Amino acid sequence: MNATITIWSKHMTKFFRNREELGGLLLQPILWVVLFGVGMGALVRNVDGSDYMSFMLPGVLALTALGGAVGGGMALLDERLRGILKEYLAAPIPRLSILMGNAASTVTKALFQATIILVVGALMGAHITGNPLGWVALVVLLAMFTIGFAGIALAFAARSKSIMGYHGLIFLFNLPLLFASNALYPLVNMPGWIKAIALANPTTYLIDALRGLTFGGTASIALPISFAVTTLFAALGMALALWSFRRTIR
Amino acid sequence: MTNISTHTMVATQGLTKQYGSVSALDGVDLTVPGGTIYALLGPNGAGKTTTINILTTLAQPSAGSAQVAGFDVVRQPDEVRKRIGVTFQDLVLDPDLTGRQVLDIHGRLYRQPTSLRRQRIDELVALVQLNDAIDRLVKTYSGGMKRRLELARGLMTDPQVVFLDEPTQGLDPQNRATIWDYVRMLRRERGLTLLLTTHYMEEAEALADTVGIIDGGRKVAEGTPSALVAALGADRIRISGSGDASHLLSELRALPFVDSVTPFERGLEVGVDSGSRRIAEVVASASGNGFTVEDVSVLRPSLGDVFLQYTGRALRD
Ligand SMILES: Nc1ncnc2c1ncn2[C@@H]1O[C@H](COP(=O)(O)OP(=O)(O)O)[C@@H](O)[C@H]1O
Ligand SMILES: [Mg+2]
Repeated sequence: MNATITIWSKHMTKFFRNREELGGLLLQPILWVVLFGVGMGALVRNVDGSDYMSFMLPGVLALTALGGAVGGGMALLDERLRGILKEYLAAPIPRLSILMGNAASTVTKALFQATIILVVGALMGAHITGNPLGWVALVVLLAMFTIGFAGIALAFAARSKSIMGYHGLIFLFNLPLLFASNALYPLVNMPGWIKAIALANPTTYLIDALRGLTFGGTASIALPISFAVTTLFAALGMALALWSFRRTIR
Repeated sequence: MTNISTHTMVATQGLTKQYGSVSALDGVDLTVPGGTIYALLGPNGAGKTTTINILTTLAQPSAGSAQVAGFDVVRQPDEVRKRIGVTFQDLVLDPDLTGRQVLDIHGRLYRQPTSLRRQRIDELVALVQLNDAIDRLVKTYSGGMKRRLELARGLMTDPQVVFLDEPTQGLDPQNRATIWDYVRMLRRERGLTLLLTTHYMEEAEALADTVGIIDGGRKVAEGTPSALVAALGADRIRISGSGDASHLLSELRALPFVDSVTPFERGLEVGVDSGSRRIAEVVASASGNGFTVEDVSVLRPSLGDVFLQYTGRALRD
């Protein structure tokens, strides 16, 4: 835990010092909201009973979390390729704490971005709940989802020989995870086989629960199931990361 | 703050590491008593870094065993990690942190309380003379400054055993001499045990109590630098001049104390049992046989010659 906090705070120090990363990370979500909101919003007024902006925002949150997780894997890969990882490996700290520190800074950044998305989204007319439980649910669900995907990214980052190789592999996951979900189309309107794929994708559970709890819509999956799936996804993601990490440092 | 210990602080038995079909280490036995400096000397690819990686718990041996400060590196890695300091062959520093942050984060990983970290940083910054630079970003440091910062980091947690993998690689002579001074001082004043690797024989000669020569994953010789050189036994006398050296050559070969005579373009190199004792006799035999002596020098063997003797190859950079 101590090492996790140390590594987390180191990443945050570096993050606030790196103007490029900071700027990109703040601008990117604004860009997504505006693009989706202005572009698509003009074509589609209403989806499944809610306004387009409120319908889209959970998907934008998921997309941003995916991007954040890729960045988290990148941070590990960078430290690994530079050899900085050796400092941690020679220290009396659990191997898992290294991955947890990385996931923690990834989640922190994702929550920064989520805040921006919500503010910009609200300004552009999204209906965001006033119920604080809806906000807590958002933080928990988004954190679990980010940890899960960060785990997958870390698992790749622990093995990749180069930055190019890492991005190639991650790309196979990133966009399909978003498109094969309910981010762009409501679950109820999907043809059966697409729906089956979407239901195998943790992104769907995040988005569905967020629509129901935070954006004033109705969830089509029972909430306990969505919470269970995202939490399980987080645990499996970190387990995969740890397994992959242990294999490389033999 | 001396923790002089005459116990064995680093030991390996039959240490072996395979990378696929490559045998990086092939049955290495080492023993390093407490409070001494041991230098592993060998060319690139000899297995030096592999040895350091296993001893610092970054890699696991394929066979054999190793103990550091009395703890097994495979079965008790955390006990080993608590007691060691390391500098790796490549500079491994975060360029976007200040020197002070690098040291502070390191101390926090080892659960040092804030007051202790502050005190250690003050001491170490003075030791490695980074006072002016310590609050600057590491990316503004020169190579020598980075090495000194890494050395300070390795010492941050008051380790019992310090591993330095090629500590002066790529440094200019002045920075190299500075690092040598630190290393000697650490052993003298703190009684630290140091295991360093190098491919510079001068470095091994200047620093080590014991040198282990390693080549192709095997330890081929070991001893104090002077004992290793003395074991070669012979010196060489180099005679240069002008004229016909062929008579001189056969005359010298007949002398009982001469082991070998090798011609070179300006004269002869004569292998003898002791250079200083035989120089007069060798020069005396050079008069009146068609060769005029212009210069004579005695060449003492170095660790480089020791290396050549045991491996049949010269130690290259
Ligand atoms: N991770 C690795 N994978 C495969 N081969 C390796 C690895 N690390 C080292 N080797 C090989 O092991 C041998 C010893 O390497 P190393 O210990 O780095 O030597 P040195 O530090 O003395 O230059 C070399 O032949 C090197 O190519
Ligand atoms: Mg090496």
